Amino acid sequence: MSDSKERLAESVSALMDGEVSEMELHRILKEVGIDQDQSTGRNSRGSVRGIWQRYNMVSASIAGDPVTMTDLSGSIAAAIDAEDTHKISPFANLMGGAGRFAIAASVAMVAVLGVQQLNSPDPASADAMQFTQMDISGAQQNNGPALQFPAGFQPNAPVRTVASGGNVNTSRPAAPVVTLKPSVQRKFSERELRGYMDDIMMKHSNNAALNSNHGMLPFARVNAAGARTDKE
Amino acid sequence: MPVIQWFKHIKLAALVAAIFAHGPLVADQMESAKDLLARMAYASKNLSYQGVFTYEYRGQLRSVKVQHLVRDGETYERVTHMDGPAREIFRRADNVDCIRAGDMLLRGGALKLDRGGYSKLEDLYEFHIRDDVRIAGRRAYRVEILPRDKLRYGYVVAIDKISGLMLQSMLINQSGKPLERFQYVDITFSEALDSVSLPAELVNAPEVSQSDCLISNQQVEPLPSQWEPKWLPPGFVLSSYQMQDDEESWMYTDGLAVFSVFIDSAERSRNLPPVDAKLGTTVAVLTKAQFNNQHYAICVVGEIPRATAQQIANAISPVILTPQAQQQGH
Repeated sequence: MSDSKERLAESVSALMDGEVSEMELHRILKEVGIDQDQSTGRNSRGSVRGIWQRYNMVSASIAGDPVTMTDLSGSIAAAIDAEDTHKISPFANLMGGAGRFAIAASVAMVAVLGVQQLNSPDPASADAMQFTQMDISGAQQNNGPALQFPAGFQPNAPVRTVASGGNVNTSRPAAPVVTLKPSVQRKFSERELRGYMDDIMMKHSNNAALNSNHGMLPFARVNAAGARTDKE
Repeated sequence: MPVIQWFKHIKLAALVAAIFAHGPLVADQMESAKDLLARMAYASKNLSYQGVFTYEYRGQLRSVKVQHLVRDGETYERVTHMDGPAREIFRRADNVDCIRAGDMLLRGGALKLDRGGYSKLEDLYEFHIRDDVRIAGRRAYRVEILPRDKLRYGYVVAIDKISGLMLQSMLINQSGKPLERFQYVDITFSEALDSVSLPAELVNAPEVSQSDCLISNQQVEPLPSQWEPKWLPPGFVLSSYQMQDDEESWMYTDGLAVFSVFIDSAERSRNLPPVDAKLGTTVAVLTKAQFNNQHYAICVVGEIPRATAQQIANAISPVILTPQAQQQGH
């Protein structure tokens, strides 16, 4: 990874934490608009979208959240494009309508392709497919209450920022891409990784309970993950 | 002309008065914030209490019932999760007289840093006592704790006026946003707790090793590891460590924040990918290293900004022995 790409990856990581500076954010948004691989329509590994997806996936798999790789940006952008706003001439309206239809159709095409891709994971990990399918339903449920934040608390900045800022530069729908695993070769399963990280988290919170003055707090933190693992 | 000079005098007098009036005021506030934290550190160890607290993170709310019982200088804790899957933890905590590095710093002590200088809480954070608040039906002082650098998070805590126990704690990121909130909704310090009979699970819970407790101003022994952190965020001192054949764990603290370092050469970690993840407010950065034909997974875990964790993880390197040191070793 080149130096600038590495910095970009760091910025994306910071964005996930909601710790990104204004300048970094603008740089990321600029990159989002230009970095899609034109020939394949896929998110290349070093691209902002690629990095974003990978980070989120790893993060989600460790947190025990549903791992979904569905890129909604395309369909959202299409939906926004499809909204009737400020149309002046009926002719333009007509043309625009056709254009929108074309876009929507292409999105559907890619989405279908994407789902097929999703359903054919590498045979080495049969449970990965099960895992993903299970999580799709989980993701839909998740859209409900998780978005209602109590006073004083805000959702992690990135989701919001990308959604509102992203469509300024990328009003054209980007191809939704569903890949199960971006890494070249997988020698571990999500389950293994999650188990390892859970173990480490538990050890950390045990140590933290003794070595920090936050008393019981470390146990509450680890439960946030532990509870979800227990459900399986 | 005389009028202007007269004004100058007034200005000077006002300035002098401001300095005199302000100086002690600031020192006073500083002093009492320090006292409050010291009281908080004491209370969290020495009091028996029971209550229910909530933990809030990104719209998720959990409630947990706790009992913290001190008997003859020994501490027993019972933690019951009130929602989600049923979970209950029975554990022993440190003996009352065990002072760890974090306690020492929070109680106003200074600890020597490996690379010279001392770690002192007020060098790392600013303290502001804000308005009084009412939490869990009790009056409390609200204290804002702001980091002096970007390498650690800030806190807003509420400290019970009577007992000194921390009733609320929020972790605050660099842009001032709360990341999580811990808060009691109900708590009692009744003397009746001293005569509650301990359930067998608590009596039989394993004792906690007290080997990392500090005696007077002593430091935790230096790491007997073939790895060392070449960089640490300023003010972090070693607080405890455990060494096993294929896994070692270190814990560092600056008095408020803590992070762990795990160095694992076991087979199970061999195929792990590098990980950069976040679980709630806890970040985990796992890097892979190879040294003397041996695989290592090095993982930094803590409630610290991601960039800090990455920097720490990247700076953990094998101890390179100088020729003299090697000779001494033989």
